[in-house]
Amino acid sequence: MKEICKSIRKKDHDPKIEGRSVYVDDYVTTADGREILTGRLLHSKFAKARVLGVKLPELPDGYTYVDASDIPGDNNVNIVLDDTPVFCRDTVEYIGEPIGMLVGPDKTVVDRLLAEIEVTYEELEPVLDIRTADESFFNYEFGHGDVEKAFAEADKVYEEEFLTGYQDQTYLEPQGMMAEPEADGRMFVHGSLQCAYYVHGAVARALGTGPDGVHILQDVTGGGFGGKEDFPSIIGCQVAVAAKKVGKPVRCVFDRREDLEFTPKRHPSLCKYKVAVKDGRVTAVDADVRFNAGGYSTLSAVVLQRGIIAAPGVYDIPNVHVTGKAVKTNTNPCGAYRGFGAPQTFFAMEMMMSHIAQDLGEDSIAFKERHFVKQGDTTSTNGKYHFPVPVPAMLGEIDALCDLRKKHIEYRKPQTGRYRRGIGFSAVFHGAGFTGSGERDLIKATAKLRKYADGTVEVLASNGDIGQGVRTTFPKIVAHELNIPFERVYYNHPDTARVPDSGPTVASRSLMIVGELLRRAAIKLRDIWQEGVEQEVEEHYKEPDFMIPFYLDRFEGDAYPTYAWATSAVEVEVDTFTGLVNILGAYGSFDVGTPVDYNIVVGQMEGGFLQGLGYASIEKMDYDGKGRIRNNSFTDYLVPTSMDVPNMKAVMHVEEYPDGPYGAKGAGELPLVAPPPAYIEAVEMALGGAKVHPLNRIPFSTEDVILEWNKEVL
Amino acid sequence: MNGINFKLNGKDVCYEGAATERLLDVLRDDYELKSVKCGCKEGECGACAVLIDGVLTNSCCVAMGAVDGHEIVTVEGYRETARFAKLSEKFAELSAVQCGFCIPGMILAAEAILSVNPHPTEDEVREGLSGNICRCTGYNAIVNAVLNAAKEGDGLW
Amino acid sequence: MVNGYKPATLQEAIAIRSREKVIPYAGGTDVMVRRPEGVPFLFLNDIDELKQIKDDGEYIRIGAAVTFTEGLKSDLVPAVMKEAVSRIAAPAIRNAGTFGGNLGNGSDKADSVMAGFALDGRVRLVSVSGERILPLGEFCIRRGVTAIRDDELIAEILLPKKNCDLPYYYKKIGGRNALAISRVAIGGVYSVKDGVIEQFTAAFIGGGNVCKRFEEIEATIIGKTVDEVKANAEEYVNAYAESMTFTRGRVSAEYRKTVIMNLLKDFIQTING
Repeated sequence: MKEICKSIRKKDHDPKIEGRSVYVDDYVTTADGREILTGRLLHSKFAKARVLGVKLPELPDGYTYVDASDIPGDNNVNIVLDDTPVFCRDTVEYIGEPIGMLVGPDKTVVDRLLAEIEVTYEELEPVLDIRTADESFFNYEFGHGDVEKAFAEADKVYEEEFLTGYQDQTYLEPQGMMAEPEADGRMFVHGSLQCAYYVHGAVARALGTGPDGVHILQDVTGGGFGGKEDFPSIIGCQVAVAAKKVGKPVRCVFDRREDLEFTPKRHPSLCKYKVAVKDGRVTAVDADVRFNAGGYSTLSAVVLQRGIIAAPGVYDIPNVHVTGKAVKTNTNPCGAYRGFGAPQTFFAMEMMMSHIAQDLGEDSIAFKERHFVKQGDTTSTNGKYHFPVPVPAMLGEIDALCDLRKKHIEYRKPQTGRYRRGIGFSAVFHGAGFTGSGERDLIKATAKLRKYADGTVEVLASNGDIGQGVRTTFPKIVAHELNIPFERVYYNHPDTARVPDSGPTVASRSLMIVGELLRRAAIKLRDIWQEGVEQEVEEHYKEPDFMIPFYLDRFEGDAYPTYAWATSAVEVEVDTFTGLVNILGAYGSFDVGTPVDYNIVVGQMEGGFLQGLGYASIEKMDYDGKGRIRNNSFTDYLVPTSMDVPNMKAVMHVEEYPDGPYGAKGAGELPLVAPPPAYIEAVEMALGGAKVHPLNRIPFSTEDVILEWNKEVL
Repeated sequence: MNGINFKLNGKDVCYEGAATERLLDVLRDDYELKSVKCGCKEGECGACAVLIDGVLTNSCCVAMGAVDGHEIVTVEGYRETARFAKLSEKFAELSAVQCGFCIPGMILAAEAILSVNPHPTEDEVREGLSGNICRCTGYNAIVNAVLNAAKEGDGLW
Repeated sequence: MVNGYKPATLQEAIAIRSREKVIPYAGGTDVMVRRPEGVPFLFLNDIDELKQIKDDGEYIRIGAAVTFTEGLKSDLVPAVMKEAVSRIAAPAIRNAGTFGGNLGNGSDKADSVMAGFALDGRVRLVSVSGERILPLGEFCIRRGVTAIRDDELIAEILLPKKNCDLPYYYKKIGGRNALAISRVAIGGVYSVKDGVIEQFTAAFIGGGNVCKRFEEIEATIIGKTVDEVKANAEEYVNAYAESMTFTRGRVSAEYRKTVIMNLLKDFIQTING
């Protein structure tokens, strides 16, 4: 193991474990001692309606109602497109859409007054069905080869539909933001967030101040997983508009039900796959991918892009055609969640490969193995896998952990009795960093190091620690290159008033992209280091020379410079009396390049792996015929506890990436992508295989197991 | 009876508000004990767990009247102890703290396990932590940290 | 105490209860989630008489304010009850939640109540005008509705000793391995002498809008030989299914029905003797 991999005590360990870290809800007053008012949102009760009027109760002194008419700037939240409003326009497009905010000193009084507000609506017919929704925010199409010819010449053509449900990020700290008008006229907005500069752009626009009129600080953030990528921009604008109106600090913290029901989640999807097989080999994939975007477009464009690029999986397929649609429905807008569109398509493709193999009478691991991409192969977008693809070796690693290949054949044989076993396998990648030329054209990351006269060094970057450890790993890289003690390098939570824009905390990019900028900056600083004086160095992102330029209009070129890889196996025992699925073991081999801090990376792998298992099994969330999410409490939206998957093992495989710091690649998202198809293949195998019980959706609950099992019994 | 009298982190206190108030809100708002986190207010996540007479309890599900005559410990009252130091050291060694929001509750859950069972099995630790949701770690690091604390904390518990 | 009463004895508690509208508060785990406003709480959590577990020769008597954790530590509490209680939520909830609260809040998913049914348990209610002992089947009317009067408090759960050491069956199916509400649960006890079933109970969560036993079906099983019952298991299971109403909630009616029937069959097949 390289020196840089050795684990160290995390910088935020002590304050967090001692309960001293200040999360946004923990401020008693502002730093300068001012009282903080509570803001609570008035949410739409209908999925689609015209808002005719809002009748307020008599508001006591100090209580204020805020809505779109109070916005000094522009009522469009700066996300990808401009359609998401700060507060609703004439219509509401989903249940929960913010109509206004009630602000005042006493939380209880605010809640009471909020309940007394009468909104009159003219109800309109909502669009709720992903299949029939005809408006789409985004439509993409791309491919390579000659798909039609391949289908015409195929021995057999397979068609299947795959469905995936919502998944909620379920960070333990709910969404929360706070705005403080400052004496110099600037608006200071801070809270639980991933992307300080996204919030910065959004708030400046809503207030109409220009970029210098606001600054944004990330507070200690209790988890994000993508859920705090775009949404803090929205609440940030809302509290800023409210604070501007009342001239006082305003904080809005969601309660859990509000958070589960009204904040972005993973897009439900419907994927239709058509696959041609000739001489036992897949010759063409035609994938029609539909994501349910919800009422506004928010991040759907980029989520969909990542999803469709991954549509052919980790396989070398000569002819590919992919269409992708993000359809509008009158439901909660979906957004970013670890994996970012890819878990949906990987699930579809992995299950498709398994089902084809089963039909051909071949073990699906062997079948997949024959199709694995390798270094030099072409990607779905006519880019190139520039670096070695370690998937075959990683398959070997999990085979060694759980005797995968043997069990995979053994459990296929007919089983009897109440308890049935299965084991499933999956192989996935995660494209490292932003999709396409985003890093080069949009983000243009800058990172700085400031050395003070006392020899301490501060990292200046905008990437937030959301639990993934960048407050530790960034200083670790810098200390390593400067050859100074780790204690002398520190990285505070970013405030846009004092840090450059090194980009958002998304896309598993922070360590790989910004970590590398910091490594280079540290080398620069080392070269000019002078004792006793303050010095500053800066580094800018440069696209690696080997990249094949990406054109989004054609989906052509290298969508990613490199890829993180995972193989996983999940072994289950299914109780056919009750539908309970006992996970006997869950095993993953992960290649995220060099782990810059082994424990931190293993923690990412294990945490993501468990989220993926939850996504496949117990994490069920849906909306009813009126468009209302019913699973809006922790009683009804279940995530895994410490007792659910006691035997989960993650091992690291290291395939170094020359342009990442010490060989590191993106890590955070990868582990979530792998488990769903492995879990479903295992359950399907236990139930007798795809010929009798083909499974093609997640989550697949205990109830689903029984209803599926009954199909044979009836 | 007038106020609600109880011991909070070793000090005698008297709460004059309503007996129906939530302990969670009172700890955070009146006593400014911000280690006690609000994750759901329904007893389903454990972020607000405290020790009442040494017993792990979700403070969101406790009304103030019920704590009259009892002793409450939050992480603010626990973090100076040798037991805490041992747990913290073991959590640090495995980087078991990620976002940190579940951690104060998790630490008190660990104390509650070890105070009645100084040498728990892995299953016992997992059961003892099962009411404390952690979304970041997948639990392995936390469970192993508690087991390591038990192993090396001989005599502390 | 503002907006609350904390009596030291049961006598004081029922006096307050008879005088004014209060919400009995034992463990808080349910009442604090619903958190009704404007009504004072009557705190029962420190009343010594309600915190006892006793053996009076005929019954194991579990005080209403005994927590699940305390019940699990007691040698007197029967195994089927312990198994049911050990699967409730998670430690922090079991440390606070009580036997009386589980019964009093009228939940149709109350695990300890279901086990109480399986043991043919009773509830002792007290008020200033005296006390009543009701079989659980009379106390639990439907979801959210019990037979308790406005002036009464639950004092004890009574579990007939003759049932407490019998072999039992218990299975709970929740949404995950901890912190899970029963979607379906089944518990029962039985005794066999010379191959003939002398005692048989089966109680259910998920087979209607209340925890329930079906004594008329039990009566058709009692007196038969084990072999006969096993041979005709299908018939008994069907009789149960016909008596139950399966409702849709967190899971479908079909799921509940299938699982209850499967588990009941399993129960019957596992009868020893």
